[in-house]
Amino acid sequence: MKVRVKAFARFREIIGSENIIDLEDGSSVLGALKSLSADSNEFGEACFDKNGNVASHVVLMINGKRIGRDRETITLLEGDELAIFPPVAGG
Amino acid sequence: MIRIQQDDFNVGTQVEDAKSRGTGAIVTFLGIVRDDGIECMELEVYHEVAEHELTVIRDEAMEKFSLHNVDIIHRTGPLHVGDNIVLIIVSAGHRKEAFLGCEYVIDRLKQTVPIWKKEVLKDGERWVEGEHGSGPVT
Repeated sequence: MKVRVKAFARFREIIGSENIIDLEDGSSVLGALKSLSADSNEFGEACFDKNGNVASHVVLMINGKRIGRDRETITLLEGDELAIFPPVAGG
Repeated sequence: MIRIQQDDFNVGTQVEDAKSRGTGAIVTFLGIVRDDGIECMELEVYHEVAEHELTVIRDEAMEKFSLHNVDIIHRTGPLHVGDNIVLIIVSAGHRKEAFLGCEYVIDRLKQTVPIWKKEVLKDGERWVEGEHGSGPVT
């Protein structure tokens, strides 16, 4: 299945603003992030903490909605838009 | 009115446009680029989500403080010291609601709206650290 990944700020500088990635059906958010980090060590370092978990300050959205609790285990669907970015700093 | 745009805005014109017969108080917040030794600042926005979240914040504020109207204009792109970044115009029947409503809007904007600032220095760049991680999960 194909999932669109949008990245902003520091993450955009590492992997570009938009990527379409191919994942096995039933892949999780963690699977998508691991797939991206396989192509970019820098992305992996920015995304994951030293224990291999998604760093707590990293914000994730699916289809424009923030995901929080157990976010790494959420299953993605064909055509989903996964967004990744650091804490917001507008205003 | 909610707008995210590169162009500057005229504060006076926007305030005039916010007046209506039942309005007794208008409070504005104008955020501008501070001189922290920077050359310029670049603002990046997740447009679709930012516009939606600004609309949610406006609707929350109007209901919570019985406001007459809330306008929010946020700029994007490269900005220089002294340039306008964000304008919030809150109108209400009385000043107390207008002050509270305006503070609520800017505080929530800084918590949840996906906008980032990169400061360009003479010898490099740095992202402005956001204060809030995940914001409310929906």
